[in-house]
Amino acid sequence: MEQFDVLVIGSGGAGQRAALEAAHQEGLRVALITKIFPSRSATAMAQGGINGVLNNVAKEDTIEDHIFDTVKGSDYLADQDAVEFFINRCPELIKELDYFGVPFSRTSENKIAQRNFGGQAYPRTCYSADKTGHVILHTLYEQCLKENVHFLQDWYLLDIVKTDDGAVGGVVAWNMKEGRVEKIATTALVIATGGAGRMYWTRTSNPYLSTGDGMAACFRAGVALKDPEMVQFHPTGLGKSGILMSEAVRGEGGYLLNNKGERFMKDYAPSKMELAPRDVVAKAIETEIAEGRGFGTGLDAYVVADVRHLPKEVILEKLHGIRDLAITFEHADPLVQPIPIRPTCHYSMGGIDVNDYKTCGTCVPGLFAAGEAACVSIHGANRLGGNSLADAVVFGKVAGEGAVDYVKNNAAKDATKALNDAANSWEQKFREVTGRTTGRPIAEIRDEMALSMWNNVGIFREEKKMELELETLNRLIEEYKTCYVGDTNRTFNMAFVNYIEVGSLLTVAKAVTLGALRRKESRGSHLREDFAKRDDANFLNHTIIKLKEDGEYEVGQSEVVITRFEPKERTY
Amino acid sequence: MRQITYNIHRYNEGRSYVQTYSFDYEPDRTILWGLQKIKDTIDPTLTFIAACRSAVCGACSIKVNGQAMLGCESKIDDITERFGSDTIEIAPIGNFDVIRDLAVDWEAKVNRLKTVAPWIFMKPEFNRDMGSRQTPEDFKKFVTNTECILCGCCASECNKLSANREDFLDPYVYTKANRFVQDSRDAAPMAHVNPAFENGLWKCVHCMNCISRCPKHLKPAKDISELRAVATKAGLSNKGTRHALAFRDDLIKTGRLNEVTMSLKTDGLVDSAKQGLYAMRLWAHGKINPLELVVPHKPVQGIKDVRTIVKAAEEAER
Repeated sequence: MEQFDVLVIGSGGAGQRAALEAAHQEGLRVALITKIFPSRSATAMAQGGINGVLNNVAKEDTIEDHIFDTVKGSDYLADQDAVEFFINRCPELIKELDYFGVPFSRTSENKIAQRNFGGQAYPRTCYSADKTGHVILHTLYEQCLKENVHFLQDWYLLDIVKTDDGAVGGVVAWNMKEGRVEKIATTALVIATGGAGRMYWTRTSNPYLSTGDGMAACFRAGVALKDPEMVQFHPTGLGKSGILMSEAVRGEGGYLLNNKGERFMKDYAPSKMELAPRDVVAKAIETEIAEGRGFGTGLDAYVVADVRHLPKEVILEKLHGIRDLAITFEHADPLVQPIPIRPTCHYSMGGIDVNDYKTCGTCVPGLFAAGEAACVSIHGANRLGGNSLADAVVFGKVAGEGAVDYVKNNAAKDATKALNDAANSWEQKFREVTGRTTGRPIAEIRDEMALSMWNNVGIFREEKKMELELETLNRLIEEYKTCYVGDTNRTFNMAFVNYIEVGSLLTVAKAVTLGALRRKESRGSHLREDFAKRDDANFLNHTIIKLKEDGEYEVGQSEVVITRFEPKERTY
Repeated sequence: MRQITYNIHRYNEGRSYVQTYSFDYEPDRTILWGLQKIKDTIDPTLTFIAACRSAVCGACSIKVNGQAMLGCESKIDDITERFGSDTIEIAPIGNFDVIRDLAVDWEAKVNRLKTVAPWIFMKPEFNRDMGSRQTPEDFKKFVTNTECILCGCCASECNKLSANREDFLDPYVYTKANRFVQDSRDAAPMAHVNPAFENGLWKCVHCMNCISRCPKHLKPAKDISELRAVATKAGLSNKGTRHALAFRDDLIKTGRLNEVTMSLKTDGLVDSAKQGLYAMRLWAHGKINPLELVVPHKPVQGIKDVRTIVKAAEEAER
């Protein structure tokens, strides 16, 4: 049995930053589990940038402005104390990344360059061309190699195991190469497994990896999911594939046009136009398509982003990654033709209920969560572009610190028996599940979940459709119990891994649906066609969903922390 | 209905075999889409790795008709057109250990990457609280190298690695090393150059497959050449260096290579003497002429121009 002081699950920005923090501490045994090589995660896909008030470009920008933009962007659902804590830490974490060697683009004063991003008062998004997430992730990996972080690569989280008194005892994981269940004892555990966008399968910008594994494991371990219904749909996914096209295309001055060639944002956000926040732009595009002003029909419909009026150098230098994507995946060269776009599921604002933003701790002692997997909550009902990379590194570090502090103040607790039991039960499960010769194929269950979620709990939501979806999900969950996996091999059994991933997605999708049903209002990314207005009197609170002993979901709520910004109508 | 056929080179628990799968053609689909289609509808045991499906994560590199590429950005239409066939050979990338089917073992590559200290040694004038400073021009000098996605395509058909993996690093490792060497903020470029020099820097066989395979259009062979220049300037010398310098000397002196002195300059007297039998065979076939030791080549016609070109090249390097 492996034994560690701090164990991190997930190798994205948050996970690697957390592991790095713990590894800096002398004498601690630290390890990081990842189901794939550490540079492949969703962080690598973030193009646009990372927010922090550095005043390298806009001298007049302030921490206060960044806090306000974030709170307003969240449609006042973010906890303002947590936001304040977060925004204050962004600049130091960005400078630290710079010191770690991140190749940031530069101003003429040789400082980190900053650009405009949606929903923000000043250019404060630090960037490296349009590969910001990629270079941050690779730099963090370099630092982890330097600090000799112990990677358990191609290991996959199965379940969190608790001690008799309810604290973290360890995890059981699937060693993918060896094809066996591993028991890992740990005093502190950081979950940084990313989002769950794959519940919409191909209608997401997320990698295949974003399957909500950590959210589902925490949920089973008794931690609530907070605001799971808050799913961000990025306004500018590529038309055919759903692949993300960065907001930089709008930040640098690109136009959004309908089939009449009109800059339709004038009808939705006349002052901010294309630079309005994501939910406003996503809603605008979907409305244009719904009212017949898009190109194409049905799910293949789209509007276009046009950058042809921009100087060629801007397109070639600042948007060259976007140009590559458009040419490769849409057969459209932005230099000569507009790029087909439409919204795509992009980010889970909700997630594992963090109840102490200063440590990223949860209700389970020793269990910490950070990054997209977690809900602190700083993004509320809508995350600002550039705040997710900042979230990953700030709260990755905070969770690492929290875990280290916990280890210093709490002796390791023995969970050998619980670990043995969990391992035995998963070993039996592997044999039973992979040995089945009948049942509905897992890919069919996945596809039905994705299509029905997109249609019923996608961008626009209403009671009837969501009730229908709840029935569908309950049926799929039943079918999942006897589904066909079809691969009995031990070595690198991706069919078995995919099977567990779909289980995680079903678990989270049901929470998303229940949360969306509870929230009878429209707020941020959550758009109810039957309740078009925000309703502060009844819903200025977090959705809290817990798993009961009998396997049923319990839907509740908790308070939103409001310190200095009283909710106002959110217009741009 | 038009069918697309994949002949997939599979491997599991010591057994290698080729399995054939066919599925209905659809326009504008990627090679990766085809793999997913097979796994979802024909054979759940088919094993491959993919993540971002937008060519930024490097997970889905495979060999398609013998060439390494990213499955997610390679269009079935392009491949069938280029190769004139609806049957496509799919195999794991080369020079990696295969775990199963198309999944290769990256963990085994991490220590090789670590050889060159793939992290920055930040100059002492910078610190954690203020970050660093860099001119936009200096940023441009190395930023291309940071675009490497560690997909391994450059290593797949590297002829040097195929011949011997033990005394040469994967091409992307040299690219990573050069990323720091060319970064104006790095205080210790030799900390990357020295280990690269010790680990095969001069053993690249210049086949340029790394350049032609890189999906991000990076140039590992050029990085190797730049690292060699830095190493040589720093006085690091081995057979490779001496061989290159002998080339240069011959070029300037006569414009022709002198194979005999080349061997002496590169290998030294003792090592050259050890190859006496080989030299005799070359002599017998008229490939070398030991008399050239005594009677040197005459400079070629146009030697002035040759010297001008060498000089210009050396100045451009500076």
